[in-house]
Amino acid sequence: MPTITFDIDDLNKLVGKKLSKEKIEELLDYAKGEIEATNGNELSVKSADTNLPYLWSVEGIARLFRGLLGLEKGLRQLRPEKSKDKIIVDKSVRDIRPYIAAFSVKGAKVDDYLLKQIIQLQEKFCHSYGMKRLKVAVGVYNYNKIVFPVHYKAVLPESVQFMPLGFKREMTLGEILEIHPTGMEYAHLLKGMASYPLLVDSNKAVLSFPPIINSEYSGKVLSGDSDLFFEATGNDREAVQLAANIFAFAFAERGFRIRAVTIDYSGKKEESPAAFKDSIKVSADDANKMLGLNLKEAEVKQLLEKFRYGYDKGKVLIPDYRRDIMHPVDVIEDIGIAFGFDKIPARPLKTYTIGSTFPVTKFVDKARELAVGMGYQEIYSPILSNTNLLYNLMDVEDFGTVEIENPMTELFSCARTWILPQLMELLSMNKNTEYPQRIFEQGLVTMKKDLKDFERMAVVTAHTKADFTEIKQALDFIMGNFGVKYGIEDTVHHSFIPGRVGRVIVNGKGVAYIGEIHPKVLANFGLSVPVAAMELNLTDLFEAIKK
Amino acid sequence: MDNVKQVLNSLHPLERKTLPFLKEGITLNELIGKTGLKDVEVMRALQWMENKGIIKIRQELKEVIELDRNGEDYKIKGLPEKRFLQQIAGKKEAKVSEIDVPAAELNIALGMLRQRAAISLRKDEKGELIVSATDHGKSLAGKESLEELFLKKLPTEVSQLQPEDRFAYDAFRKRREIIKTSVVKIRSVELTELGKQILNEKSSLKLDVIDALTPQVLKEESWKHKDFRAYDIKINVPKIFAGKKQHYRAFIDMVRGKLVSMGFKEMSGPVVESDFWDMDALYMPQFHSARDIHDAYYIKDPKYGQIDETIMKKVKAAHENGFGTGSKGWRYAFDVLRTKRLLLRTQGTACSARKLASKDVEIPGKYFGITRCFRYDVVDATHNCDFNQTEGFVAEEGLTFGHLKGMLKMFAEEFAQTETIRIVPDYFPFTEPSAGLLAKHPEMGWIELAGSGMFRPEMTKPLGIDVPVIAWGIGVDRLAMFALNIKDIRQLYSHELPVLRSMKVMY
Repeated sequence: MPTITFDIDDLNKLVGKKLSKEKIEELLDYAKGEIEATNGNELSVKSADTNLPYLWSVEGIARLFRGLLGLEKGLRQLRPEKSKDKIIVDKSVRDIRPYIAAFSVKGAKVDDYLLKQIIQLQEKFCHSYGMKRLKVAVGVYNYNKIVFPVHYKAVLPESVQFMPLGFKREMTLGEILEIHPTGMEYAHLLKGMASYPLLVDSNKAVLSFPPIINSEYSGKVLSGDSDLFFEATGNDREAVQLAANIFAFAFAERGFRIRAVTIDYSGKKEESPAAFKDSIKVSADDANKMLGLNLKEAEVKQLLEKFRYGYDKGKVLIPDYRRDIMHPVDVIEDIGIAFGFDKIPARPLKTYTIGSTFPVTKFVDKARELAVGMGYQEIYSPILSNTNLLYNLMDVEDFGTVEIENPMTELFSCARTWILPQLMELLSMNKNTEYPQRIFEQGLVTMKKDLKDFERMAVVTAHTKADFTEIKQALDFIMGNFGVKYGIEDTVHHSFIPGRVGRVIVNGKGVAYIGEIHPKVLANFGLSVPVAAMELNLTDLFEAIKK
Repeated sequence: MDNVKQVLNSLHPLERKTLPFLKEGITLNELIGKTGLKDVEVMRALQWMENKGIIKIRQELKEVIELDRNGEDYKIKGLPEKRFLQQIAGKKEAKVSEIDVPAAELNIALGMLRQRAAISLRKDEKGELIVSATDHGKSLAGKESLEELFLKKLPTEVSQLQPEDRFAYDAFRKRREIIKTSVVKIRSVELTELGKQILNEKSSLKLDVIDALTPQVLKEESWKHKDFRAYDIKINVPKIFAGKKQHYRAFIDMVRGKLVSMGFKEMSGPVVESDFWDMDALYMPQFHSARDIHDAYYIKDPKYGQIDETIMKKVKAAHENGFGTGSKGWRYAFDVLRTKRLLLRTQGTACSARKLASKDVEIPGKYFGITRCFRYDVVDATHNCDFNQTEGFVAEEGLTFGHLKGMLKMFAEEFAQTETIRIVPDYFPFTEPSAGLLAKHPEMGWIELAGSGMFRPEMTKPLGIDVPVIAWGIGVDRLAMFALNIKDIRQLYSHELPVLRSMKVMY
């Protein structure tokens, strides 16, 4: 969810009306935006819609606001001036980064503020919608330093060198990926490719090495520049064209004249920016059915125009800076927003249904109640844990763990397979708290075998006199209250003292371990009181006693 | 008088034993000696009596002189100089080497005695030291010295020293480890007016009251003609830490209960999910930025799970071309291997997708799931590696956005006890229209309570659902933080026993 920053005065100028902060806040609801911070005249606005990048610019927001305020309505179209500027796309980029869109602008001046706005939109667009430049990367240049036609081609990494933005010396493309900070950050995008994309003009001056970095020569825009060149490259044709459209519309809001560039794909020519001229059929009926309203066609048309769509006899004309419309529901949402969510009447859900929980949910809740009744404090832990705690400190072998390939920290690098270790850790953390410490936790564990989850409950008593008798009394109490007959078999479990550990059997199925914790394990947790514990598999127990 | 009687009745056995010995200015130590009780017992009795207004405990800091290590010894065996003098008093002369005084003390004894002109010393022809007692010395041998008298008075206070003690005190201070002085707290009793009255009445103090109600007392019915000792019912008692439900777990129980009461049925799904059920089945495109490896925890081994081919084909078609829903789809080549990739569930909506696709889904129907979810995030005050999501849906022919609003209103009333809400446009990849529910919190202002929307047809149709479906999700962690007044999300999962024990219960 991108956050952008702009000046309120600038927004007001672009809208053509002075808006209070409250009004801006209200209008931002329509744009799924939310003010995150205010710093004097400056607003930071978070946009919730990751699919509507035109709203990640103050120019785009202002365009929508003008519609919502009735200052303008309907579709806004871009009418680029013709030019002789051309980009010749070489076949060599076809398998690397095949698509490019471009235009140039004239007639207004860039100042520091506008430069920041351009860079902001560029960053937000390329990071989020452009998938960190994989799908789309964007470059802006000083138009006057470029000699057309520009060539877009793939070259060998060591065959070209130029001075990258921010550096005082020439480097080969390979070097840039190894040394330049931006090169290093995005090098993975070109991993395994024999040649790299390059934009170079007719004087053999490099414009940029997309999607990595611009040249210091022409790829550096300064305050005071008025003639700019824009290009977007990527592996998604529509996304690349959308980038050009969004930027061209933004520049147009600023009073720039937009000039077209011809893209020549080996003889197949197209004008850029390209108008999608997309439309979708949406009827008033569809909208009413979904929104629960009673709109007439004329009203629908009015609402659509307020939201900057065009409408022509059942056909909704989609602005060229939007590519998010896949289905009529996308338009219907905007009709609803334009109508006002707050004005749509709320209705109660009509059908009577009976709520319920899973039988096993009720079962585990009863087990928890019994543990509380015995005076045990309930604990609630994260499910994520680590194998050192689950096995090493408990002196047992790994019994099949779901481990995370990309853990954020070793502390949370697998799903827990049992709960007792987390309770031991808790005892270890609370050595200076009053004893007795009687605690339990009921919750899910996940086993690698069949990737199955189980409801479990660990019950632990720690104090100077804690022993097997006490924990077996607890087991008796729980089993007795469920009306379950159980047996205990001698077993070996290294977390417990040999001869003081048992496997609890119900209807032939092992459902719990119970015993006194081994002094070696107590030492691992730095504990100096005896601990008796049990861990019940409630899922298995529930299955074993189900009638 | 009534007051006196009432107080007398309420005396604890320890107080009863102490009371007869009370007098103005008596110290704690004196009372210990007289009552034969332990010091803590007398102290407790005095404190209780102070609570009852019988006495005031006066505390004074006093400099006290006590016997030190050698002093203890000398008190029994006598001072070295005295022992020396006694051994020679009856003789004319004696060899110093033959006198039974430890070597370490010999020089001190000789020094002291010479200083007081109690002995005379000479060397014989062999160079051996010969000692004899002077007449003054002989008279001293039979008398207790001031020093000895002083030793017997110890311990005493510096302020209580008599002029004759001064001499011994100063002398001992110069010698090794005979006496020591320290500052101690002396507790003594000051009688209040009530205390004085009670002491006057103490003859009426009935010692024969029922202290503990025992089976014996009940059997003998002695309670019929005896009074019960009255307790000091205002006294603080030791704390107990009995069992209770964990605060956050209890909150989740409450949420579950409310949802069931609103007619929702529980649903669930596995912790280890596939990309398919976690995201693809929700019509989230595989190239979406939320799908980046940095947002989900992927499983090391096994990497891939199994997905039903029939349903996968439909979802694939939805992504690629809209699956005949009237949608263009996301228009990209759906990766059938990636969809099987296993991860830890990132959102509860995975359970909704599974439920919608299942054979037993009831339509019309209302479902909910409270599920543990996991996202690749740095753990801090607002993010935990684990968190809970409460998600669900309502599926029924004829549902509109108006019903969605109605449902959100109900949620606000149930979960935030407020009707002051805003329903604003929002974005989720799988719903259109999408709406956020904001509720006005008395202190925190507008808080985001829930996200909601109508599932996109590209999501529901491949799962076999042809009716409108309202989806909703509540950030139950955040809701709990508001309800429990917790500022740090990690406190929801606190492992600090003092915190757990002191958490207030919600009702």
